[in-house]
Amino acid sequence: MADRARRWVPPLVAVVLVLAAWQVFTVLSGVDRWLLPSPADIVAAGVADHASLARHTVATVRLTLIGFTAGVGTGLLVAVVLHVVPVLRAAVYPLLVVSQNIPTIALAPLLVVWLGFGILPKIIVIVLVCFFPVAVATLDGLSRTDPVTTNYLRMSGADRRQLFTKLEFPNALPSVFSGLKIAATYSVFGAIISEWLGSDQGIGRYMIIQKSAFRADRMFVSIAIVVLISLLVFGAVALLERILVRGRPKRT
Amino acid sequence: MADPSALEIGGVAKSFGSLHVVEDVSLRVGKGEFVSIVGPSGGGKSTLFHIVGGLLTPDRGTVTIDGHDAVGRRGLIGYMPQQPALLPWRTVEDNIVLAREIAGEPRRASRELARRWLARAGLDGFADAYPHTLSGGMQQRASFLRALLSDHEVLLLDEPFSALDAILRTDMHRWLLDIWEENRRSILFITHNVEEALLLSSTVYVLTARPARVLERVEVPFPRPRPDELVDEPEFVRLRRRLTHLLKNDARHAI
Ligand SMILES: Nc1ncnc2c1ncn2[C@@H]1O[C@H](COP(=O)(O)OP(=O)(O)O)[C@@H](O)[C@H]1O
Ligand SMILES: [Mg+2]
Repeated sequence: MADRARRWVPPLVAVVLVLAAWQVFTVLSGVDRWLLPSPADIVAAGVADHASLARHTVATVRLTLIGFTAGVGTGLLVAVVLHVVPVLRAAVYPLLVVSQNIPTIALAPLLVVWLGFGILPKIIVIVLVCFFPVAVATLDGLSRTDPVTTNYLRMSGADRRQLFTKLEFPNALPSVFSGLKIAATYSVFGAIISEWLGSDQGIGRYMIIQKSAFRADRMFVSIAIVVLISLLVFGAVALLERILVRGRPKRT
Repeated sequence: MADPSALEIGGVAKSFGSLHVVEDVSLRVGKGEFVSIVGPSGGGKSTLFHIVGGLLTPDRGTVTIDGHDAVGRRGLIGYMPQQPALLPWRTVEDNIVLAREIAGEPRRASRELARRWLARAGLDGFADAYPHTLSGGMQQRASFLRALLSDHEVLLLDEPFSALDAILRTDMHRWLLDIWEENRRSILFITHNVEEALLLSSTVYVLTARPARVLERVEVPFPRPRPDELVDEPEFVRLRRRLTHLLKNDARHAI
């Protein structure tokens, strides 16, 4: 416990110091408050508009979670299918790796053209950005099973399903989670961008409105909320990892 | 044949592409017998186990377990691989019931059995520990228990003690013999250590360098239980010298 406190204290102190310096700077420098609001101004703006912010935040969180779940589900499913059908894997895996270098987010405007402004194109955008890291990390993990242990299980009579559930999948879990952590951050980012492109609700939508109104204070509020949502989704994944990944992986 | 052997291998051969690994190996393990295979490293001993375990199909020859054809059939033996190969995310107890779990045995009974055997292996306090917190010798014992608990008559032990230092190895020999004398399973034991083979077994098969053939079959005459001092007796020293000589000569031919 004391150890964990010791790890958390320095970064917290750093954040508090930066905020304090920011506050002092805005007060002393006489910079235009509408351009660079002080932390206190930002908090005040958030409190004043809390009802509308809450509504937009809920919409974004909902979109993020639906997209993240769908993206992770697709990624895991595709990885497992490719893993158990080696021919498919040989054909598709290189393409998956290459496609990781393509900014899939660039497809978002096209999806809006095709599917309109509803929730579906937004979910697809998030699925697209989450899918690749999860699929590639899972496939990687599944293929890194220790051959001696595989032989042991097979000689002990394990069938294909047992080999997967008792050895390959648990062995791949640390790798799966590194994919999930990337996907967690990407999913929030995908949600905000798809809301920018066309939506009647969500923090992304709120940002667009505040941009037209030149409300820097409200922009800062939305940025803070986006950061918080990201940290929460990431934190949930990290917590799940601590619960599910036990012992020590043989290789890291 | 009234009482079939626990395990019989007849004229087995195996090549990987152009690499001839096993040329012609026949051997027999009677019920409750402790049999060792001695041979140089890289000589095809582990490959022979993979064949007996049904992981590989031999190019030629037969494998018979308890009187039944076992070529290519998996799940008929208890196996301890050359490395402990414990699952790092499972506790020691969950690891040693793995083979029973695969066979579909009820969980409760397996766990009770596991607890009892962990105590016998000096691992009482470690049921809920993860393998990486165990020493090398403890991991080997856990791996052995996993094979023992599989409940198969035939146990295949692949160089279980080769990674241990001499003192620890002597302790493990004592431990293994105690357990074996108590419940007399049929053991086929691989080693490249002649003294270890003579100390533990009733029959020793000396194999050639790759491709493996049986160079000689040696009956070990010493009664059991065998004391630690056995290694200094003239008859033991004579046998050890003879087997070492056989292996050396074969190595010279191979070069
Ligand atoms: N699946 C395999 N494919 C190709 N070569 C193999 C395979 N398994 C073992 N070998 C080769 O067979 C030879 C004998 O190996 P092994 O049976 O492990 O010897 P030992 O256990 O006596 O040290 C080695 O040269 C090894 O590289
Ligand atoms: Mg070997």
